[in-house]
Amino acid sequence: MTDAAGQAAENPPVAQASTSRLSPGRAAVAGLRQPIVAILLLIALFTAVSGKPLDGFLMLAVATLLIFDAARARRQGTAEDDDDAAAGRVASAAAMASPAAPASRRARQRRLLARAGWLTAGALYCGVVGSFRRYSWPATAAVIALGCLMIAVGWQGPLRRRPALTGAALRRAWLWAVVLVSGGLLELSSLLQQPHLTTDSYAHPTISALTDPLLASSPGRSLVLGGWLVIGWLLVGR
Amino acid sequence: MSSRDATIIGYLAVLAAGITLQVAAVRRPGRLPSLGRVLTHVMRTRTGRVGVFVAWSWLGLHFFAR
Repeated sequence: MTDAAGQAAENPPVAQASTSRLSPGRAAVAGLRQPIVAILLLIALFTAVSGKPLDGFLMLAVATLLIFDAARARRQGTAEDDDDAAAGRVASAAAMASPAAPASRRARQRRLLARAGWLTAGALYCGVVGSFRRYSWPATAAVIALGCLMIAVGWQGPLRRRPALTGAALRRAWLWAVVLVSGGLLELSSLLQQPHLTTDSYAHPTISALTDPLLASSPGRSLVLGGWLVIGWLLVGR
Repeated sequence: MSSRDATIIGYLAVLAAGITLQVAAVRRPGRLPSLGRVLTHVMRTRTGRVGVFVAWSWLGLHFFAR
């Protein structure tokens, strides 16, 4: 399947006249039907009932924003991909207008300094936040702040246009969905078999319960935070 | 085998499946997508991008936040 055909299949063109008569309710339902929104709402529900209402509220807030954004795009008659395609074209045009400077020594030094700066900031974050007790308010505030910042960065769209999956690779992408959904269902099953949603079970441990020994110590927390930051760094570059 | 052992084996099986899929995808990139390429594909739209970042944030919240 070509990229253009794939995008057309995901976001079929909508006639301008029909979308202008689309009611807010129907536009919102279109937003609710997006799989990621449904998943976020489910996560919000189970997170809230398992004793973490703040997490659940944040998930719900982001899901609501996505529904509004999709509804707005639907009523304006623009596919979501069009907005991000435009963002990608602007980013590409900006890159072409100011072509990359030759790989000079100064440019390499600047890049190295920037990377060293990010590494230092990341190490400081891990060290400081890892020193706080787990589930304490300082740790909570630090994680929420960084999470919200990353979501805001993600809201702006991809840094550059990336090719879509096509052909056999696209047809087999469902294999990853199977792996991830299996892990999620196993975790959910363990959660539901606990004596209470907020009480860990030795016989049916969740991943959180299994990592308790590692996260009981400050170095352990810093290590896991470091892994979390590395994953975030890799995602930002996508 | 206890329930705990079975649960842990289940988690390890999922992890092993993911690693196997990734290794296979790296060896045959035209036939299998790596996790990175799948995430790139999902993150081409705003919903996908925000959804992935929310999932990442949720991981941090789940393990560290009140």
